Amino acid sequence: MYAVRNIRLCTKDCLCLYVCPTGATDTENGQIDAETCLSGCRACVDACPSHAISLVPEKYPPQQEKSDAVKKALHALLISKTEQEKISSGIAETSDDPILRQLAEAISTSNRLMAEDLLREAGYMLPQSKNVQDFLQSLLDEEQPEDFPTEVVEKLLNILKSND
Amino acid sequence: MKKYICLICGYIYDESMGVPEEDISPVTKWLDIPSDWICPLCGAPKSDFAEIEANDNLKTRVTPNQGSRASETSALSFAKMSVLCSNLSKGCEKQYRSKESDLFSQLSDYFKTKSSLTKDKGFADLSNLITQDLSMSYTNANSIAKAENDRGALRVLVWSEKVTKMLISILQQYEKKKNALLENKNVYVCEICGFVYMGDFPLELCPVCKVPKMKLAQVKRG
Repeated sequence: MYAVRNIRLCTKDCLCLYVCPTGATDTENGQIDAETCLSGCRACVDACPSHAISLVPEKYPPQQEKSDAVKKALHALLISKTEQEKISSGIAETSDDPILRQLAEAISTSNRLMAEDLLREAGYMLPQSKNVQDFLQSLLDEEQPEDFPTEVVEKLLNILKSND
Repeated sequence: MKKYICLICGYIYDESMGVPEEDISPVTKWLDIPSDWICPLCGAPKSDFAEIEANDNLKTRVTPNQGSRASETSALSFAKMSVLCSNLSKGCEKQYRSKESDLFSQLSDYFKTKSSLTKDKGFADLSNLITQDLSMSYTNANSIAKAENDRGALRVLVWSEKVTKMLISILQQYEKKKNALLENKNVYVCEICGFVYMGDFPLELCPVCKVPKMKLAQVKRG
């Protein structure tokens, strides 16, 4: 468990600088240096008067198992939301009416957010899960268009370690 | 005296109480409230309220089953991969993994460029899909999630069903009022659950997922 700072909440009281035994909280970019942060120390977490620092686990527990029936039911909705996003994006891009474009854009964004949330509960909550690793690997194994950014997928597979 | 609940956000209109802030005095019958009255909490139209019976059950509304399921094309799977990657980008962001978040975001953008927009379709097509979601897909998914005791799935179904009901009510209002619907109003989308709100100011809290207003993003007109 290492410490992270939520910049939105930080009120620069700087008590974290005072209590940190290694100086990990003293950085230029406002984030806490994961290399020097002592795992599980939490001195800064307890000292911060604005509750802007929390601990993030190095390894997350495996995701809750999802049954095939649940995945299938959420998938049916996902397909519909994705189609709705595409239809409303189409309206937002082609209409001459600024008010219609605004409304269509809001509906498109709304559908994207619902679709993301449905996928999260259909087994893609954690980026470190085996599901995600399998998805990334399948992108490399299957044939892709010529301009496919293979190196982006390779980088992700290198950095993200599976927790399953 | 009866009570009516907003099916979008859960606000309850109690005939015995009225809404004093809006000059609707106590003991005002539901039938005497004008049809263009909107929910004081989330802005949903009066038609999105249902009567709460004495035993606390909702009188169920029957929605017609119409429209056909869109076929799954290869272009759509690019769209789905884009959604998957933008979701994972947010997942990394929440874990303060900005590098990974950025890489997933690049993948999401790539898949989005590969997914063709659906053109020559309008709000009527959206309404058909939404009607199908509400009349069939949510009922089906809810009963499966309940049977499997999947709390996470039940949570997402509650949120997105409410958001979807709000979308159909916005489409219906737009059908009637056209551009006058958005006259002198801002449009906000909740970045967490997708709730769409039309009003002068953002709400203090999202009425669906209860996130504070800093997550209610304004959609500009341009």
